Amino acid sequence: MSRSAARGIAGGVLLLLIWEVLARGLSLPAYTLPAVSDILGAVWTHRVPLFSAGWLTAAEALAGYAIGCVAGIGIAVLLVLLPPLRGGLLPVMMAINSVPVAAYSPLVLLWFGIGVASKVVMVALAVGFTIFLSALAGFDRVDRRSADLMRSFGAGHLAILWRLRLPAAMPLIAAGMRVSTVRSLIVAIVTEMLGAYGGLGWIIYQAVVQIDFVQVWSAIVVASALSLSFFGLVGAVERRVIFWK
Amino acid sequence: MTAARARFTAPIRAGSRFLLGLLLAAAVWEGAVILLGIRPHILPRLSEVLSAIALTPGAYRDGFLRTLAETLIGFVAGAGIGVLNGVAFFRAPVLRDMLFPIFVVSQTIPVIAFGALVVLWFGNTLMAKAVIAFYLTFFPVTVNTLLGLNAVDPRQVALLRSFGASGRQVLLRLQLPMALPQIFVALRLAASLSLVGAIVGEWFGDTTGIGVLLLQAMYNENVVALWAAILCSALLGTGFYALVALAERRIVFWGAEQ
Amino acid sequence: MHRRHLLATLGTAAAFPAIRRAGAQTLTRATLRLKWLAQTQFAGFYLALSRGYYREAGIDLTINPGGPNLLTENLVASGADTFGLSGGTDSVFAAREKNLPIVCVGVAHQQTPFVFVTRANGPIRALTDFRGRTVTTWFTGANYVLLGMLAQAGLRQGDFTMQPQQVSVTPFVDGQIDVVTATRYNEFYTLMTRMGRENLRTFVPEDFGVTFPRDTVITSEQTARDKPELVQGFLRASMRGWREALRDPKAGVDAVMAVAPTLNRPHQEFMLEEAGKLMVAGQAAQQGLFWIDRDAVKSAHDFLLRYEVIKQPVDLAAAYDRRFLDAIPVADRVA
Repeated sequence: MSRSAARGIAGGVLLLLIWEVLARGLSLPAYTLPAVSDILGAVWTHRVPLFSAGWLTAAEALAGYAIGCVAGIGIAVLLVLLPPLRGGLLPVMMAINSVPVAAYSPLVLLWFGIGVASKVVMVALAVGFTIFLSALAGFDRVDRRSADLMRSFGAGHLAILWRLRLPAAMPLIAAGMRVSTVRSLIVAIVTEMLGAYGGLGWIIYQAVVQIDFVQVWSAIVVASALSLSFFGLVGAVERRVIFWK
Repeated sequence: MTAARARFTAPIRAGSRFLLGLLLAAAVWEGAVILLGIRPHILPRLSEVLSAIALTPGAYRDGFLRTLAETLIGFVAGAGIGVLNGVAFFRAPVLRDMLFPIFVVSQTIPVIAFGALVVLWFGNTLMAKAVIAFYLTFFPVTVNTLLGLNAVDPRQVALLRSFGASGRQVLLRLQLPMALPQIFVALRLAASLSLVGAIVGEWFGDTTGIGVLLLQAMYNENVVALWAAILCSALLGTGFYALVALAERRIVFWGAEQ
Repeated sequence: MHRRHLLATLGTAAAFPAIRRAGAQTLTRATLRLKWLAQTQFAGFYLALSRGYYREAGIDLTINPGGPNLLTENLVASGADTFGLSGGTDSVFAAREKNLPIVCVGVAHQQTPFVFVTRANGPIRALTDFRGRTVTTWFTGANYVLLGMLAQAGLRQGDFTMQPQQVSVTPFVDGQIDVVTATRYNEFYTLMTRMGRENLRTFVPEDFGVTFPRDTVITSEQTARDKPELVQGFLRASMRGWREALRDPKAGVDAVMAVAPTLNRPHQEFMLEEAGKLMVAGQAAQQGLFWIDRDAVKSAHDFLLRYEVIKQPVDLAAAYDRRFLDAIPVADRVA
């Protein structure tokens, strides 16, 4: 085990210990802060429903994430290749993006229904804009002289994009993709809480209504575990792909 | 001379292009609803939405200002602490290794699941909303600060060092400026996220704010009011984002080919 | 002359904070957490506040709206709020079962506030026609009311499709589903304006012997024990506000719209009227506002117990405390 991993685990264990001691020592009621051991116990007891709910939420988040990544990078590329489009489309994109995704949730639920589609759309929206902004910033980061140099050798827009801009943008796009992993799951969960047939958000909503706070936390634990695996996975892929870093 | 003029007219040109884009979008919106006969509870006409705002301008103004205050406080705190975190993690890898995973975990928790906890801990104050805005913004800033600092060429650091620069000088003169483009990417993201935080925070039992207007409209199925609130939020978000982008252009004037 | 004037001003200024402090001492600070955002469902509380009835009762009251995922019982139990207008008898049972130290001191809506709605010219004319149909409802208690009603028609879960209802009634309006759940004061208004009252057929839980009193006034066990005069003063002032809001609906709507000006006035007028009907229904007609009808509470309790929504019996005498209402003369309670 690497040293940084050991430290990370030490930090986590320390936090959980403080939490447990605090909750038990002050005998806090469950609606303030349940003990870690109780939460983990609940995760184990309800592992079957939690697992299937997590599976559904993860599927929604992954689908939306994939769509969002492709669309985000795609639109950024489009705007770089067609500068006139940029002037017209960018302000509209900015205006749409500046509205929190949560504000669109009632409309998306209205348009796409209460099923899986609305969650995928919401995640794709949230992820898409993040990736789009990262990619555009990355493409713009290219040194002007390098671009001019390539152009003087007769390289077209596409060649400059592929050879120069894309490699330069990669770290930023990758950072955006990593941040988006977590966002994708949160957006899926929040949308589920507003209306769904299942998933972690649905479990949380039901648990709040039934005043079962340990259950709320246990669903959150599963959500966190999912987010972390996703985050780690994208991070690992990133380290493989951006070998020139 | 021409460079100076270009620097002066460029923002105006960009601004007018921006306005033109918005006007075009407005015309498309109004026209599409009329021409395609879209039912009003799917998408009402823009003029209808605007007249709804004009009917009770006070409510929208109060909501706008309140949400603006929450967003700003959360953003400033999130940006400041985010950069500090990034620097601390960069200088002390032990800290990074121990805390970074916890920060990551903290970001995987949907705040909305803990509305009651937020009220319990911070009450019904403006601060409670600012705290949520902060909570959503500090992490991306931390990540990008760290990334930007790590990306600084070690040879340049070694060079400065060889001239006898202290660690603090290297940080302030070389590493932070070099990391600024990365940091600003996160700040632009944070500008949107802090608004999300403020609005979601207002869902935990508040009386004023864009979030309250949104919620009220959503559950009363008042689509016109819903769009009115969305417009307010778009105005706030775009304005704030533009400010951050402007600051970026002023401060990080190097490197970008536009 | 000048100097004396200045001194006098200074003297007054110095005395002022003292006066204000003395005034504040006689008032007890308290908060009321609503189950939802400001709307005329809560008009009486807002009217009582704006007319200063809580102040006259010695209470410096703040009204805090609710929100999604904000549970009133939780906030009152933890002491974040003094009083709460919470979900209903169902959420009080759930809270008591989970050992939350709250107690119900009044019930606002004496009858089930929601109905099940279908198209008047549609295929569903009786409960038996629900077989094979798609229903959306809230999975927060309304689902059990529906199950209880349909059980009388010999239908069981699985004989029809029950889906969670989202924020919108549009799927029903568009004909995607057969039955929708609507509160009398809110969703039903939306349905009426979009489809017309004559095109709607309703199934009322009371017609099938199911009653769910909702909108419960709660406080913490501690407040009920240590500050009975506060609880009583709060109830008394709230009743004053509600009596006037019901008698003069315009004032009630105005009080709410002063807080939430973007609301739709006709909708709010309708809401107040419907909420008023629910508040004076049943025994409340003789016993007055916020009356705790023990039989209705018990029947709701037994119903939920039968469907295993609550796993074990709840001590109803401890959970529903009528002392504070009984201490107020009937003449002051009746609307």
